[in-house]
Amino acid sequence: MNFARDIWRSIFRRDPLLTDKGKSELVFLNVWLHIHPAKVKTENMRFKHTFYLGFITFFLFVVLVTTGIALMFYYRPYPPHAYQDMKDLEYVVFLGSFLRGMHRWAAHGMVICVFLHMCRVFYTASYKKPRQFNWVIGVLLLLLTLGLSFTGYLLPWDQLAFWAITVGTNIGSYAPIVGGQVREILLGGHSVGEAGLLRFYVLHVAVLPSAVILLTIVHFWRVRKDGGLSRPIWKLKPKKQEELVTIGAPPVTAAVNAVVASPQKTYGLMEVVTGKPIFETISPEEEDEAVFSYPYAFFREAIALLATVVGVMLMSLLFRAPLEELANPAKTPNPAKAPWYFLGLQELVSHSALLGGVVAPTLMVLALLVIPYFDRSPSRRPIDRKWAIWLFTIFVAANLILIVVGTFFRGPGWALVPPWVHVTGAVE
Amino acid sequence: MIGRRLPQLFFALSALALVILIAALWKASTPEWKKYQRQFRALEAQGEPNAVTKAAVLATPPQIHQVMLTGLQRVDRCATCHLGVDDPTMKNAPEPFRYHAGLGPHVPSKFGCTICHGGQGLATEKDAAHGNVQFWQTPILSREYIRASCGRCHKEGDVPDVPELTEGRRLFETQGCRGCHKLNGVGGSIGPDLTEEGANHRSPEWLERHFLAPNAVSAGSAMPNFHFTREQARALTYYMLSLTSEEMGTYYSSLRLIPSPGYGRQLFIERNCIVCHSIGGVGSKSGPDLQGVTKRHSLGWLDEQLVNPQQVYPGSTMPEYDLETNARKALVAYMAKATPEDAQEILSHREKPLSTEEVSIEAGRRDFARFGCAGCHGTELQGGVPNPNAQGGQVPSLLHLSDDYTKDEVIAVIRNGRAAPLDNPKGPTPPLYMPSWKQLLSDEDIHQVVEFLWSKQQKSTESW
Repeated sequence: MNFARDIWRSIFRRDPLLTDKGKSELVFLNVWLHIHPAKVKTENMRFKHTFYLGFITFFLFVVLVTTGIALMFYYRPYPPHAYQDMKDLEYVVFLGSFLRGMHRWAAHGMVICVFLHMCRVFYTASYKKPRQFNWVIGVLLLLLTLGLSFTGYLLPWDQLAFWAITVGTNIGSYAPIVGGQVREILLGGHSVGEAGLLRFYVLHVAVLPSAVILLTIVHFWRVRKDGGLSRPIWKLKPKKQEELVTIGAPPVTAAVNAVVASPQKTYGLMEVVTGKPIFETISPEEEDEAVFSYPYAFFREAIALLATVVGVMLMSLLFRAPLEELANPAKTPNPAKAPWYFLGLQELVSHSALLGGVVAPTLMVLALLVIPYFDRSPSRRPIDRKWAIWLFTIFVAANLILIVVGTFFRGPGWALVPPWVHVTGAVE
Repeated sequence: MIGRRLPQLFFALSALALVILIAALWKASTPEWKKYQRQFRALEAQGEPNAVTKAAVLATPPQIHQVMLTGLQRVDRCATCHLGVDDPTMKNAPEPFRYHAGLGPHVPSKFGCTICHGGQGLATEKDAAHGNVQFWQTPILSREYIRASCGRCHKEGDVPDVPELTEGRRLFETQGCRGCHKLNGVGGSIGPDLTEEGANHRSPEWLERHFLAPNAVSAGSAMPNFHFTREQARALTYYMLSLTSEEMGTYYSSLRLIPSPGYGRQLFIERNCIVCHSIGGVGSKSGPDLQGVTKRHSLGWLDEQLVNPQQVYPGSTMPEYDLETNARKALVAYMAKATPEDAQEILSHREKPLSTEEVSIEAGRRDFARFGCAGCHGTELQGGVPNPNAQGGQVPSLLHLSDDYTKDEVIAVIRNGRAAPLDNPKGPTPPLYMPSWKQLLSDEDIHQVVEFLWSKQQKSTESW
């Protein structure tokens, strides 16, 4: 029996989970779990603080990778076959339609959740010092998510895919000087074709997912190093600079009650790096409000994972992923529309190619990237950030309105047609 | 704060995940086609006296039946449900199991189903497979129009039992459809390109009504009413349904032309065989008489003679005609049943040799019909097709051209096109206009058309 126990102990080296030591070791000694702290503040687990949007986004990505790999077994990125493979998934492959549905709906869900996550972080001012750069990484992850969704959009090789990508890449080509070349490099030619499909496929299954995984690791690691989640705004103490004190970043202004290094004592590496004795990293009062990650945080994350998977499976069971007729470069649908998240830009392009294709997207991305460096006031309380909140709300609302108009209110010839009016004889 | 209700939520979600997964598995493992296969096995087992065989039939595992047709670029899974399609004992079985009689050489294993019937071969659900769903271009063709599909492969010659196709093709080339419509790259661009018309999602009924009265089904259409008869509309509909630029593999294209005696006779006339040969003494005597030639020589010998006369008869004066396999077969088929009376008939229809001027006028007449000038200006140059807000409200007659224009002026108008002069300058642009023809017609073609026009000019009754 000793033999079996030895093997067991060599794999799971922690104490039993009944003890506090065991609970801590579960986190410390596990490569996957040690991105968590051993203990988390109860206030940070509150649903209404984060809505678990970051987790849900990550779990959607996990669902996408899993279903995506399964789909890769059935897919050939070559024009006539690509579409036939979609039909095979739909009609012949066991659970193929279900898999494809999950992948499709999870992809749309991820675009939405990434955006909502960004809104949450903005409204709780969680991008402020020292988290500025993590916000920048978040914006890059948003762009990568859009890129993943956009490249995946072409793969079914149906009319929807072909024309959405044609329109989408056309919007990109309005960029001065480089626009045309970028489009040509992306498509491997002047129009969407075999070369473009292969390039989009490689970007979709290899390049972009690797980039997302790398940046996600950095994103998570920084959350941890910046002191975990930001404190909920309703917990902020009125007008005290200390609210910003977090591990690794003592406020510059406040006097650091550093202990003078004593020659009689040996300091650990962590103490040297943070400049604080180890017992000060979590204050005793915070210690009272903290619980072990196991099981409290992990359990909640498991629920978020379950809810995400259930949501995606339910969508897939109830709604088939769309698949139109085989891509036909000779037959332009009227109107030809980009994927929905680019319809705001297409709407702007319909008024001015320069505005929608160049000015608006460039300004939007730049504005998002520099937010944490321009909004320098340290206060996170809404009362002190009226301007920022107003500007961001207008930004979000403008985007939503443009997307809704582009999606539902644009008919043949990009004429303003409300969704409840049916245009007869629009096609052909 | 520990969340007392969380375990309930956790288990509820787990249970829900399990239920959804089971539902998905159930849905995936009970497709419609398995039901049909069970019914078919029961049908097969019905008359089976041997208990062991019966059990074996009933225990046949369900599976997708598909024909991979690389040459036709399609995969047909129709036989997954239509299980008796090539089984003659299923002659009286109910659909979808009935045997498909009368297929001739078009066996399902070589041709599949959708090339003739339309529908979605890849699908395994009834509505989707029959193409009666959104986003599928070619729904299943009704029995009434099914013979139009013959023309998808048999693009030349005549198709026995489908005279509509030959007639539709003839109407298309003589009524001037190409003036407005492109077909395989040749034609005008006023109307839609018809190269892929057979692959478009248009119902045959729509096409037929459209030919009878274009404006009744497509309001504001610039297409004039040609006053086709019902039969002509049907023939054109058949022809339209057969139009597709789909690539057929070599196996299929080699069989496209059906070697019918009718087509052989047409070739016999076109290639002027009667100039050297005679049939039962009627015709020219420079070559051998052809009556009974199929009895004197084997089919292989005749074929070889048509391919390379020098090989068979060194020193023969018969030229090489470069005929394809099935054209040669058609000629032989005609020779087998040619009679002196028929030769007389052919001889009597032979036109007298034409002068250069007549040749030129004749070529002009052909182009006038083929490129669709007749579509607007009328086969007799009478004009009269309504063209709202153009001067006179209609397309002008060409019968009095020479009163107002010189030949060079007319040539310039044909070459460069012209907008219709407006009746009311503030009114809408008239739908019809004279397109520019210099892309389609060479200078010589245009000259010939003008010669044809001048040959038809009527002397003006008024004289100033």
